[in-house]
Amino acid sequence: MKTFLYALVIVFSLLSAPARLLAQDVSYEQLLHADSTPQDWLMYGGDYKSQRFSRLTQINRANVHSLKPTWIYQPNHPLPPFESSPVVVSGIMYVTEPLSTVTALDARLGTKIWSWTPHLPERIYTIGVHRSNRGVAVFNNTVYVETLDAHLVALDATTGAVKWSVHVDENDQGYAMTGAPRVLNGKVIVGISGGDVGIRGFVDAYDAKTGNRLWRVWTIPSPGERGSETWGKDMSGTGGGGTWGTGSYDPELNLLYWTTGNPAPDYNGHNREGDNLYSDSVLAIDPDAGKMKWYFQFTPHDTHDWDAIQVPVLFDDTVDGKPGKFLALANRNGFYYVLDRVTGEYVTGVPFVRQTWAKGLDEKGRPISLPNTEPTPEGSLVYPDGHGGTNWNSPSYSPQTKLFYVSAREIGAYTVAGQPKVHFPDFGGGGRNALSADDSYGAIRALDVMTGKMKWEYRMLAPAETSTLATAGGLVFSVSDEGNFFALDAASGKLLWEFTVGGTISESNLITYEVDGKQYLIGASGNCFVAFSLP
Amino acid sequence: MPGSSTVSEKEAANIVAYIRTLDSTTTSGQATGNPKKGEALYNSSGCPACHMIAGQGGSIGPELTQVGAMRGATNLKARLQEPGANLPQVGDGPFGSRWTQYLMYRAVEKDGRVVEGVRVGEDSFTIVLKDAAGKFHGFWKPGLRSLEKEPGKSFMPNFKDTLSAAQLDDLVAYLMSLKSAQ
Repeated sequence: MKTFLYALVIVFSLLSAPARLLAQDVSYEQLLHADSTPQDWLMYGGDYKSQRFSRLTQINRANVHSLKPTWIYQPNHPLPPFESSPVVVSGIMYVTEPLSTVTALDARLGTKIWSWTPHLPERIYTIGVHRSNRGVAVFNNTVYVETLDAHLVALDATTGAVKWSVHVDENDQGYAMTGAPRVLNGKVIVGISGGDVGIRGFVDAYDAKTGNRLWRVWTIPSPGERGSETWGKDMSGTGGGGTWGTGSYDPELNLLYWTTGNPAPDYNGHNREGDNLYSDSVLAIDPDAGKMKWYFQFTPHDTHDWDAIQVPVLFDDTVDGKPGKFLALANRNGFYYVLDRVTGEYVTGVPFVRQTWAKGLDEKGRPISLPNTEPTPEGSLVYPDGHGGTNWNSPSYSPQTKLFYVSAREIGAYTVAGQPKVHFPDFGGGGRNALSADDSYGAIRALDVMTGKMKWEYRMLAPAETSTLATAGGLVFSVSDEGNFFALDAASGKLLWEFTVGGTISESNLITYEVDGKQYLIGASGNCFVAFSLP
Repeated sequence: MPGSSTVSEKEAANIVAYIRTLDSTTTSGQATGNPKKGEALYNSSGCPACHMIAGQGGSIGPELTQVGAMRGATNLKARLQEPGANLPQVGDGPFGSRWTQYLMYRAVEKDGRVVEGVRVGEDSFTIVLKDAAGKFHGFWKPGLRSLEKEPGKSFMPNFKDTLSAAQLDDLVAYLMSLKSAQ
């Protein structure tokens, strides 16, 4: 009966306000100017710059203490924790649920409109991969989702019906898909997971209308290609370099910035001598030609599982009187970097958490490694641990404060080198033993975006993997590993609001949006999405 | 280390069982004392005031009904000699890390009132302590003047100097005999 009534509401809405549903037909022009429609949250990261900054101000420093839960959405059966970053278009919210389900919700009520679940094989290979999904892309009344068994699927945004589905790569060889696609100018850009089990990473572009593959940029070079000399021997079949984050885009430069994961096998680099390009790097890709324009490698010859898959945050600033275009990235290896996003040249880099493996960065941003920090059979204590100084969860940047807000993890681990195993699915080179949770902590840190200098921090109990969301209301929202949503003053870091939900929120990416004049905050906690608004 | 999403639940249980055999707190050492004498010592030394066995006793310290199945003799002896040292860890911390059990804290409220107790629950904003009388105290952390860990400290007395080596062995033998619910 509820479904029937809801259908009536939808029909009524269609009759009374057709423009509202038509507005789901998101154009490329709208995506290019996502910041001009702050009531929507049109894509992963909020806009192509991935600043995760909202211009909404209804919830602000003066009233955030009154924020209350408005609705909770949860699936019918227990699942791994939600990692989805919702997309909101004209009051309709699109979320993903583990394993690869897409659900459309009324963003005011949390009521389900439709849900689509792929027919996944009985056995799915997800070694080293969370069996989850980080969100969708929406374009031209179509919702794009990556599935765990390495397919890219286009769904009708109104009904959830499949428009097309393409097989991206072989799941029984370790290729899996968990990321949120990026749509730009008629193309759907996707990455791949499975870098820990010896896949060959790539970034793909597909025609948004047909699903035809337009290009593939490999992250591990073939023999003879530039970069192949950095592997000691041919590793183009198994070198890793997953691309499981979501990239950013500069339409003026027409450059796509996509990051890459660790080389494989992990924790033991003896059979891959060299820098192992293009693992742990950011790649600048011409999305029309499907060609790499430049790259910057953060951690050459990584043996600590420091994937560089953090979302690149694009910002513009004036330095010494000259306007510049920059890319900021707080890396799992413990350093915060600023690059010139036109050329890929290193601008600055400083540690943003305790790190014990490098003396610093040289003038080109290459780390100066310290001795005795490689994994050993007995275990070598190194900060940060394998989950990094921060992980994949989005940071945010406020153009108002010019601060970069990042979830920092202060934790080390004993990294253990084992015998390299290089035959899928038995693939790996060692592991890590985490220190006691009581010898570690987490924090939200505000860094000067150009210098990386910390302006303030707010400490959390556990070294959580959390996102931050900055708003024009002068706020930074974040979550703790233990189940707390909270808001801080963006300028000072002062705690302004906290609400305990209880479910692990360590994998949540927060967003905000507005429907019918009411601003909402939403994030995932355990198996639920919890939406908040003012009374 | 990659995740193990292709491991079945049964395989995972076997792996966990194997890993537990590597934990010296559960397996190390053999009881050499007299459990009957140990039981008498347990009762005469004041242990039941704080510990519960089969529903009898206090609730300030850990419940001991099955402690013999959970701890090894070496570990139990060490606990009696230095109760606050090398506290056990539990594996529900983030990303494979483990939290310290029975960790003591000292909380000072804004009005200067001090509460000392064992942590029973904590998140980034709240903490609940159990004091020496077994009473729970919940705090909003930002509302405290200070909150400090007290590593090495314990409500439990040190028996190193009050019991002989033979008595300690007897007490350990009794505790090791407690393996199942009665």
